[in-house]
Amino acid sequence: MKKILRVEQIQKYYGNKENLTKAIDGISFEVEEGEFIGIMGASGSGKTTLLNCISTIDHVSSGHIFLEDRDITEIKEEEIAKFRRENLGFIFQDFNLLDTLTIEENIALILTINRMPEEEIEKKTKEIARKLGISDILNKYPYQVSGGQKQRCACGRAIVHSPKLILADEPTGSLDSKSARQLLEIMEQMNRVMQTTILMVTHDPLSASYCSKILFLKDGKIFNKIEKGDSTNLEFYNEILDVLALLGGDIRGC
Amino acid sequence: MLAKLSFRNAKRQAKDYTIYFITIVLAVALMFSFHSIAVSEDIENLSQMMNYFSKTILVISMIIMVVMAWLINYTMKFMLEKRSKEFGTYQILGIEKKDISNIFTLENLIIGVFAFFVGIAGGTLLYQVFTSIIMKIFGQPYEIAIEFKIEAVGITAMYFFGIFLLVLWNNRRKIKKTKVYDLLYADKQNENNKIKNPKGNLFLFVISLVLLVCAYGINAKEFQDPNTMSGRNIMLAVLLLIVGIYLFYFSLSSFIVKRYLEKPKRKYRKDNLFLYRNLTSKINTMSLTMGTIAMLFTFIFIGGNVALLLNQLLNNEIDMGYPFEVMVSSEEEDLSKYQTYIEENSDVTDIYQYKLYQVPETGVYHALDGTSFEGRYEEGMDSVIGLSDYNRLREILGLEKVSLQSNEAIIQCMKTTETYFEAYRKQNQRMEIRGETLTIKEVKGDNFGQIYFNGYTYCLVVSDDLFNQIAEKNEQGDSEIGLQYKMIAQTKETTSEDFYNGLFDLIPTRIVKKTVEVNGEREEYEMEIYLGDVSTRGKRESETKSFFTIISFLAFYIALICMMAATTLLAIQQLSDSEKYKYRYQTLKKIGMDELATNQIILKQLLIYFGLPILLPLFLSIPITLSVANIFQIAVTLLEIWKIIGMTTGFVLLVYMIYFIATDIQFERNVNGE
Repeated sequence: MKKILRVEQIQKYYGNKENLTKAIDGISFEVEEGEFIGIMGASGSGKTTLLNCISTIDHVSSGHIFLEDRDITEIKEEEIAKFRRENLGFIFQDFNLLDTLTIEENIALILTINRMPEEEIEKKTKEIARKLGISDILNKYPYQVSGGQKQRCACGRAIVHSPKLILADEPTGSLDSKSARQLLEIMEQMNRVMQTTILMVTHDPLSASYCSKILFLKDGKIFNKIEKGDSTNLEFYNEILDVLALLGGDIRGC
Repeated sequence: MLAKLSFRNAKRQAKDYTIYFITIVLAVALMFSFHSIAVSEDIENLSQMMNYFSKTILVISMIIMVVMAWLINYTMKFMLEKRSKEFGTYQILGIEKKDISNIFTLENLIIGVFAFFVGIAGGTLLYQVFTSIIMKIFGQPYEIAIEFKIEAVGITAMYFFGIFLLVLWNNRRKIKKTKVYDLLYADKQNENNKIKNPKGNLFLFVISLVLLVCAYGINAKEFQDPNTMSGRNIMLAVLLLIVGIYLFYFSLSSFIVKRYLEKPKRKYRKDNLFLYRNLTSKINTMSLTMGTIAMLFTFIFIGGNVALLLNQLLNNEIDMGYPFEVMVSSEEEDLSKYQTYIEENSDVTDIYQYKLYQVPETGVYHALDGTSFEGRYEEGMDSVIGLSDYNRLREILGLEKVSLQSNEAIIQCMKTTETYFEAYRKQNQRMEIRGETLTIKEVKGDNFGQIYFNGYTYCLVVSDDLFNQIAEKNEQGDSEIGLQYKMIAQTKETTSEDFYNGLFDLIPTRIVKKTVEVNGEREEYEMEIYLGDVSTRGKRESETKSFFTIISFLAFYIALICMMAATTLLAIQQLSDSEKYKYRYQTLKKIGMDELATNQIILKQLLIYFGLPILLPLFLSIPITLSVANIFQIAVTLLEIWKIIGMTTGFVLLVYMIYFIATDIQFERNVNGE
């Protein structure tokens, strides 16, 4: 299978000489096309920093990140935004939907930024909304719909322009368990049916159990890596809990 | 401790209110400098009319303070809204509401007092500038000396703090009344941005346009003829204008939705979606502000234009009506006493005596039919001047001489009527004076003193032969021909008001007995009739100067402050939104819009917000000014009217641009900076 993302020995430092914090300390991994990869870890383990580096919002201190064959750590400042809107899709924890736009328009926004022809925008938006099951609320405003619907709209916005990689930062963080489960099923479906590659940061084992592969981070390093393989969600969930217990045990051991 | 914390917070937010602070400082500076002028004896002594100037300033300051109160209140409301979370947190920590409102009061008082003193300092300088300009207008020597008018400080302080404390007290009460929950979640409250009844709104939009057109129509009709102008109808037009403007902005959002957001084709083009949704989400609350600002600007534009037109009228009137320094008209042939007085009391360079005959109408006045000059010719009489007198006068005025055959005539008229007479000449070619048919050789529009001196609006120039024939007939006792003895003089220096008064006293009078019938009884009364008339350019100029100074300074004062207040309000509203809705722009950036494109969107958005409230006033004020200018066309040409419109518009747009640029820069900083 085609490798979509290759992270090579990246490091990210904060602070100055006297007080140096290594947020990421030599992480390498690869993501293949159509994978649903999860990144887990306690707060301060560096998972959000890693996501920010991949999403070009933050810069690495050293190392390389390749999206397909392009080194994104070398992209010029003025090209970053263009790269981001053409290749990446984002799902944020607090949805980040614009309250002045309807659900439909929120999805269409990224396409207008990409300057897609107007007729196509409408067609594409409607199609994605149908797939995500939010066709009936398209003309509503974000404050008129539920949290789950908002997050599905956010998924629509992340996927509508067919990005190479979707980055999700705690997508279920502000949802109740039922909505969270619905959202994860949709993400799983996006991953399976549309062959979208998703990279999700989460600290919730249930969310992580929907992934096909999980990286555990600790103090800026990869602590463990597990793959779902043929196991069911429940089996995988238990496996995750085991690793987390180990992670926690290690913390206690310090 | 709390004071320290709160003060630090206030300082952190100060950058958003820089524009507000500068506007208050400028307003205080302007107010103080005008109050200094109002109490200045030097200026009061300049002329009698300048007395009114001082009193008017104090009245206008009251109007200005109402506008300032509006601005200060609005800004404090924004400050409160922005700091609601901070104040809520204080309350949760157990700090009493009273203490919190005390802190807020104290902070604002510090801002107010500071702005006041900076303003006073700036105003002292401005006062010097204004005084030297006024002194220069009146041709008086003036030395710049730092002068500090303590009374003016008192008046300014009274006005400023009167309003400031009132507004502050009102906001203080507001803090005391709010609940903790509202404070903490004030920024979470979503505005209901749904437009109620879009169809009805669209109907209102059309109605507003109809009202505005009606306002213009009534206004244009009233100003067509100054003689039949009705104040009631003009008030109606003003009322329609105000209602129309507010209605326009209240229903505008529906129009935008229909125009830009209904069809996907327009909606999804470029940045339309983000821009117009932002606009329509806010316009329900913005429409009141926009309407008020637009109304202010409409009146600033029209008021500024009219003030300048008035000045132009007076200046042109001097040029047209007073090309000679001294002009004497008399029914008596002997003008020697005038001549002696003029020669003794001024440095004469030229003096000339001549005759002007009045002949029964020739029909030339029909040239003015249907114009604003209609009905202004002298009752049935046309003035006639001889060629050699005419040429001598032209020589004195520095104009080239003209020649004339005995069967030809020239129409000499006021500059503003030249086109009408030229059209008449082209159509008729000829005219008839006392049975003689003459070819109209040409029409001259040079300034020739034709406001009741060398004829009213026009006179006819004929060959010396014909002129002598008319004179002969007059001597033979032809009762249809009238005669006026005229004398003009040019001097080296402009003559004074005293010179005029002395000249005026020379005019002989005759007592005439007249009878009137009152309630069936015949009553006899005596009337003093002046047997002549004198006028001087010097006297007219000094009257005009006072008028010019009063009108233009007051117009400038009120227009500038109203404009600054309105624009500051717009700027503050935008800047406070830029903080409040920062996440919108940051989301745009996160999903892949670069900084340049974001800044472009901000620029476009501000262009819309700043453009909307000024475009309508611009569109309205130009035709309205043109229709009002109709009554000024007696002495102001169309080109001059357009120049004035250009000047007013240019000045307003310049000040507006400065605020616009400042807002744009700060907005980008707020959104881009972390």
